[in-house]
Amino acid sequence: MKKLLGIHRNEDEFSFIVQENGRIFVEHGNEKNINDFANSKLILKRDEMIRDPLGEEDVEGEGVFDFRYGPVTSGVGEAGIYHLFTYGERILDVKIDTSYKRRELDLKMKGKNVNEGLRLAQSVCGNFTISHSLAFVRAVENALNVKIPRVSELLRAVALELERMYNHMYVISRLASAAAQLVLSSHLQGLFEALLVVNEKFSKSRFLRDFVKIGGVAFVPKNNSLNGIITEVERISNDFSDLFERSLESRNYVDRLHSTATLKAEDAEKIGLTGPSLRACNVLEDLRRREGVYATLETITDEEGDSLSRMEVRAREIIQSAKFVIKTLREIDDEKPINDSIRVEDSQGLGACESPSGSVVYLLNLKGGKIEDVYISTPSVFGFAAIAHSIRENIFTDFPFAVESYGVNFADAAR
Amino acid sequence: MKWWPAVGISKMLTKKEEYISKNEVKKLKLFKRSLHLYMIDVGNSNQLNFEIHALHTPRYNIHRFGMYFAASPRHADLLIVLGRPTKKMVNPLRETIRQMPDPFGILLIKGCEETGIDPEKLDLPNVVATLEGCPSAGEILGALLKISGRVD
Repeated sequence: MKKLLGIHRNEDEFSFIVQENGRIFVEHGNEKNINDFANSKLILKRDEMIRDPLGEEDVEGEGVFDFRYGPVTSGVGEAGIYHLFTYGERILDVKIDTSYKRRELDLKMKGKNVNEGLRLAQSVCGNFTISHSLAFVRAVENALNVKIPRVSELLRAVALELERMYNHMYVISRLASAAAQLVLSSHLQGLFEALLVVNEKFSKSRFLRDFVKIGGVAFVPKNNSLNGIITEVERISNDFSDLFERSLESRNYVDRLHSTATLKAEDAEKIGLTGPSLRACNVLEDLRRREGVYATLETITDEEGDSLSRMEVRAREIIQSAKFVIKTLREIDDEKPINDSIRVEDSQGLGACESPSGSVVYLLNLKGGKIEDVYISTPSVFGFAAIAHSIRENIFTDFPFAVESYGVNFADAAR
Repeated sequence: MKWWPAVGISKMLTKKEEYISKNEVKKLKLFKRSLHLYMIDVGNSNQLNFEIHALHTPRYNIHRFGMYFAASPRHADLLIVLGRPTKKMVNPLRETIRQMPDPFGILLIKGCEETGIDPEKLDLPNVVATLEGCPSAGEILGALLKISGRVD
């Protein structure tokens, strides 16, 4: 099924960014085509208020009030607001305001050269640095028909999988602490920090900053540090799979996640959800399937579409990513990792990347050596919309399990 | 009964590490043993939020220094401001500072982005230290140890 991820408007011309079967492409159309998709209103109003695109009526009734959660609370770490509509216990509707975190990075990119644009792209969301910079550089490389060396393709994939591992670990540790599984969450937090140390060994930055460059990557890590990374990733993966097996034996933990914020596959696709949350609804959709370096990767899915399924998909992806990282790092040769011969010409490019929470897409227009126009589609917008849809009829204590299991960030949604 | 504390000590589960911050900080000299912290994000890229999450992990074990994250600014000694404020976050930031009980301090961590307003230009009261760029969790802990007066 086609999923709409973005609408870019240039006067009367509309470009619709669409994902289908692991492929991202642009369909051109006009104003009438907006109504072809259920989530187009969500996309057009993403900077005002994110709400459930499949049921837009306001909730009213006796005792119903708006519980405003954020932007300064210890529960919501980031600067954003959840408007929870409730009469005390049951959550009837949620609206999400991301405007407090809006830094207008996509507007700042206009008129800058591509290297400055790359720096801004990795500032969009600090924990999706590789995903955003990779989508940005792919858009530039597609526009200018740049071929990149094989070694940098491998290193980019490793960096992306390292990013996936620590983000998934973060999500699962948050779920464990929300369920008061303190021993489990302490262990997971320890592994999370260990993964940040691995990142630093690999790219000299705990959050893999400045590693991806236009035309390749910044450098090839030295052989002895690669061996250290392989042993450490192996240890983390083994420790994690042991913890994961044990955690599923805890009724207290599993009961909190099971049948919380359940989402049907059909609704998820209408909302435009991608990534592990969509795969947890038993939909085979992964942008990595069409990339050469991932030839042997099997897509992990689950059937129920609830918080437990989303957690299990993420957990199994951690183990899978660790295997991929170990296998790929053994193939790395020491060759020049960057293609320097790039001339910026007037053109348009589309770049996408499977981030830890779904598809990040950049649509770029280059003119006179500068960025003329850019459209950024981020997975968190659809993640928030999916929260708003699936949390209905759940109760207040389910809220952290619903929110954390989607792995959404205000920074990513607000740009 | 098993002697878990003895087992833990014999295995040296906590590595000895030094946490050093190069930044100048004003010593509060008000809080002698513990420091209760409250963190507010005013528009950083999320990297600093993740560093603060990393500070909660067993590697740093900040409770041994008497440092705790409070659930409300009214229970905190030190406010950690993450990032450079967006226009809409300036008022919530000022309101949070109004809720801090006297005496209190503010630690500014600016982050690596060039977005938003420079927090030093907002004329905030009781700023005890300003960290430039994106410090790692270890560096943040170094600054906190200096603020609480545990190291020179």
